[in-house]
Amino acid sequence: MPHLKAAISRTLQLALVLWAVVTILFLMFRLMPGNPMAAYIDPTFTLEQQQALMAQFGLDKPLWEQYFIYIGNLLQGELGQSFRYREPVATRIWALLPNTLILTFSSLILAYTFGILAGAYLAWKRGGVVENAAIPLVLTTRAMPEFWLGMVLLAIFSFNLGWFPAGGTRPAGASYDSLWALYTSREFLSYLALPALTLAIYSQGLPLLLMRSNMLDVMKEDFVTMARIKGLSNWTVVVRHAARNALLPVMTSFAIAVGYQLQGNVVVESVFSWPGLGRELVNAVSASDYPLAQGAFLMIAVVVILMNLIADLLYALLDPRISHA
Amino acid sequence: MTETLLSVRDLRVSYKVGASRIDAVDGASFDVPRGTIVGLVGESGCGKTTIAKALTRVIADNASITGGQMMFEGRDLVSLSERQMNALRWREIAFIPQSAMNSLDPVYTVESQLNEVLRRRGGLGRREARKRCEELFELVGIDKGRLSDYPHQFSGGMRQRVAIALALALNPKLVIADEPVTALDVIVQRQILDQLRELQAALGISVIIVTHDISVVAYICDRTVVMYAGKVAEAGSMQATLTEPSHPYTMGLRNAFPDLQGAASGTLTPIEGAPPNLAFPPPGCRFAPRCPFVLETCRQVNPPLETVGPNHVAACHRAGEAVELRTQAARVDTWSGKVLA
Repeated sequence: MPHLKAAISRTLQLALVLWAVVTILFLMFRLMPGNPMAAYIDPTFTLEQQQALMAQFGLDKPLWEQYFIYIGNLLQGELGQSFRYREPVATRIWALLPNTLILTFSSLILAYTFGILAGAYLAWKRGGVVENAAIPLVLTTRAMPEFWLGMVLLAIFSFNLGWFPAGGTRPAGASYDSLWALYTSREFLSYLALPALTLAIYSQGLPLLLMRSNMLDVMKEDFVTMARIKGLSNWTVVVRHAARNALLPVMTSFAIAVGYQLQGNVVVESVFSWPGLGRELVNAVSASDYPLAQGAFLMIAVVVILMNLIADLLYALLDPRISHA
Repeated sequence: MTETLLSVRDLRVSYKVGASRIDAVDGASFDVPRGTIVGLVGESGCGKTTIAKALTRVIADNASITGGQMMFEGRDLVSLSERQMNALRWREIAFIPQSAMNSLDPVYTVESQLNEVLRRRGGLGRREARKRCEELFELVGIDKGRLSDYPHQFSGGMRQRVAIALALALNPKLVIADEPVTALDVIVQRQILDQLRELQAALGISVIIVTHDISVVAYICDRTVVMYAGKVAEAGSMQATLTEPSHPYTMGLRNAFPDLQGAASGTLTPIEGAPPNLAFPPPGCRFAPRCPFVLETCRQVNPPLETVGPNHVAACHRAGEAVELRTQAARVDTWSGKVLA
């Protein structure tokens, strides 16, 4: 069972990486300047009251003890209390994470579907007018900052044409029975459209250019020439052989893109007032809500690590040379 | 004389490189009789692989067939439409590539790649294709349990056998093998050549073997076509061309290779220099700058292919003196110290 063995060893590596991330996060927030309790503690509090609060949050204990308490809590899914919202960080994050994931994956799937198809097409039709026009265009979209692109799209499609709402995930005052009901509603789609499009336009350049250059390389491979000598149809040669092989590195880049995207989300979620993890992270940091910021960072790290695991497993599934190695 | 399966006449293939045009194949003519193995031999860059590819009409983007004929069973492959040509590919003309590693798609099992030609090109059903796969593996001596393996799980020699099985899948009439054993060690080379010979005889197909290795020709071929700088220098039966070569280039090639049997036939003598740059070919005989027997006419007039024996042609002004030249060519000092252009 080479697949199972590889999956187990990957999962163990993942646990190790996760532990490293957790440790770095723990130290990072304790090395940051300022008192983490600054936002929580009113200046009118007496010293005793301040100390009592510190003790309540366990901040009076030595660092190593705090570390073990932190790890112990994490293992139970306990991320601490948000200073600002006075509610468990986990509750807050679980409420926001789905919004971020929906935005990230819808935009990335859009970007990758378009990028892979367009990249393969451009490689196939190499050296034409289409290519001469398309490559600079793609580079332009790649060079545009997301927040700027987001604002331009907002100005055109929301403020001028009024086709899409300007921000948020739902009409004011609307309430839904469940998240599922919200996500499957038609209004949600119109709220999702602009931020997802912004991220998709920004992200499609990478898969497109990657797919194109991979295709150009693969098209020179002997097995593609052989496929032609075999008299196979153009479609079979280009799709079944060239594109199938060129796709492998693009799949890996998808996982890395999820990581980048979560980082890009911070900006785009702010522009579109999208109630996601990225926007919350910005708010939490500026409000010195360290437990929440720490939790949000951790969550983003978990998603990135998980995506890497998925990419690894997927790669083994797509490329027989990897799974037999 | 047996019936001719393929007759190449005055074939020209040129590459566009920058602004200039290079005639990689410049008026090559030769025949492939039915049921024989023809060796296309010459140095790197002499146009032999270009001819092999041209026969399938799958050539580089910057290459084009600019003239000549390739008569295959009465049809001229040069003038067939792409659709007609595609109908012929693999069903009648199959190809064994040099490196079977790169020519098999790494992401599919060999069975899936055999199935691809059997089903998409041969029109076989699932069950028939499976049966044919097993048959083909048996034919090339690989355990049929390995059909579900991927190319990277095979050794170099095994992969070459897979390539042979692939080529034979649709019972072609002509198999073109482009340096089929060059990437293999000598022991495996011999096994593969033996197998190719056996299968060729059993199935009655014709084979063109492209090689730079004259010992491969001596080992397996019925006929030899010696190429030099885009032209045919000499062609004839393997026996005649290798024991009584009439072109100095063939004589030189023979000195430059040990034979596959391992019999030490004396010292190896290289032909000094390199083939000419085909963007600026020499005006006369293309071999003249490297030829130890060069005359003044050789540098000015290009010698035509002329009959020098039964079924044996050579393009050399001094072909008439071949017997005398052969004795001189056998001496090492004839080839050393030759001033290069």
